[in-house]
Amino acid sequence: MTAAISPSAESGAPAAGGKVRESRLRRFLAIDTRESFITLAQTAAGQLLITFTAILAVAPYFGIWAGALAVAAAMTAVSQPALRDRILFAATWATAFVGTVLGENDTLDNIVAVLQQQMVDLSPAVLAIAFLLLLLVAATGALYWVRRNPQSILARRPLVTLLALEALLCGLASVEFMQGLPSVMLWAAIFVLTPYIWFLPYAIVDVRSRGGSSSLMQLAVLRPFWSPAYLPFGKGAAFLRKHLAKTPRDLAITQLKGVKLLIWATVLFALRDGLSWGFEAQLQIPALAQALDAFLRGQPYPLIVGWGAMILSTAKFSLKVAAWAHLFIGVARLAGYRLPRGSWRPLESRTLMDYFNRFHYYFKEMLVDFFFIPTFFKVFRNHPRLRMFFATFMAAGVGNAIWHFTRDIDLVATLGPTAALETYTSYAFYCVVLAIGVGISQVRITMGIRPSPTVIGRLYSFLFIWSFVVCMHVFSDESRNHTFEERFSFLVSLFGVS
Amino acid sequence: MNASAKQKLREFLKEALENHGDRSEFGDGESLFASGRLDSFTMMNLVMYLEQAFALDFSDLEFDAGLVDSVNEIEGLVDSKLTA
Repeated sequence: MTAAISPSAESGAPAAGGKVRESRLRRFLAIDTRESFITLAQTAAGQLLITFTAILAVAPYFGIWAGALAVAAAMTAVSQPALRDRILFAATWATAFVGTVLGENDTLDNIVAVLQQQMVDLSPAVLAIAFLLLLLVAATGALYWVRRNPQSILARRPLVTLLALEALLCGLASVEFMQGLPSVMLWAAIFVLTPYIWFLPYAIVDVRSRGGSSSLMQLAVLRPFWSPAYLPFGKGAAFLRKHLAKTPRDLAITQLKGVKLLIWATVLFALRDGLSWGFEAQLQIPALAQALDAFLRGQPYPLIVGWGAMILSTAKFSLKVAAWAHLFIGVARLAGYRLPRGSWRPLESRTLMDYFNRFHYYFKEMLVDFFFIPTFFKVFRNHPRLRMFFATFMAAGVGNAIWHFTRDIDLVATLGPTAALETYTSYAFYCVVLAIGVGISQVRITMGIRPSPTVIGRLYSFLFIWSFVVCMHVFSDESRNHTFEERFSFLVSLFGVS
Repeated sequence: MNASAKQKLREFLKEALENHGDRSEFGDGESLFASGRLDSFTMMNLVMYLEQAFALDFSDLEFDAGLVDSVNEIEGLVDSKLTA
């Protein structure tokens, strides 16, 4: 039996029904449990207040137009339930098109890089918009096809099919005789398609199921306006349907939880900036890349500064992941979806499995849905522990590696496939070690070995998990400028080994 | 699924919820996974439990979390597999 904990839809509380030792501050902040706030949230004045507060919280990070659009769309969708699907569709695709034109996502930058490399004179914005339109048409067609051909390979193996398509396009774009305009066109198509690879399978699975949402709704939540990212925050239409607030009171509570989460995200961003100011600007703790460069130049920082750089970089990364997840889920809650949080008290993790579950819930869910479950049902059926370990390995290791590799697919275009793979060695190593760690953790739990609930036991869990996370961060750091060997040498040097 | 088997299933789920720090009661029709009370890894442990307890084979199943989201749905799934 796993002891992993689900991030509850109840922000700031453990899974429903769990024991909560509430502090005064927590009680003060629990606006979603106070009748006066719940009543106010159901009035026009309350809705205006929520809208205004949410825009203030979101705008510094989404940008003013995207933040205002996201909040306005979410609030309008709940006020016009009959038009919900259409409003969500319009907001999602307006965000996609306008964001692309304004260069607020990676797509345009990546296309510009390929145009320069291939010395082709075309408008990157026109290319991006044209392929985004093509993608919308293709996605609509794919959903139509799947409804009528539920036994087709696309319907039964959507992710594998899409990854194969991506690999085929990458292969074609990389061959010698395709250089120039054909290569540019292929890469533009790849850059536009890539983020949707992780959303379309949820839509395809749902349209095949009984009671699945309409195609309009499926398209409305392909990179939805609340999280135009590579990761499906809120998964797909099926998950959203199950979490949609059903009564006005439930909706008011959900929106208040959304506001709380947005404010909490702001606090986490401020904390991250405070860490930068305090440690980097005042105490001169270098960034991890700087510490690595200094080590490689033969002028390493003192050990304590090196460790400081590692811990600071891990802390800032963790805060960034949590804060963005809170922003995305906060806006989704404004739209009436009472979704579990994306990051839920990772410092309280008791095992590596628990950490993996708490730190990045929707990333873990995606890996479980697309890698763990299919593996689990196919291999080592007569060996329960091996079955669990292997399925966990496929999710935390293989799935993790594939997702990150496709997210940085532009490096295949600019560096070439071989060099792109070489720069990925370090992250691949991280995935393997993480997967083994999480897999062992999961198997131990299935064997009934659980962490001690005592204070010492909790302290041990904290030190073990976060030592592991900090040490592995040197390999998972997202820059591709240092080789695996360089990172490994730096890490061992921090233990006094030269 | 007979009453004894259903009781054992409820005990399994109760223990899983307790391991998640959740000691509140749950009804037969209550959502356990979509609601966030239990996670997807627990779902796989549940599948292993069902395979062993009822000698079932789910390998031919297009697995969907909705199939095992509540006691009633688990019961329906097991009954449909046993009669298939």
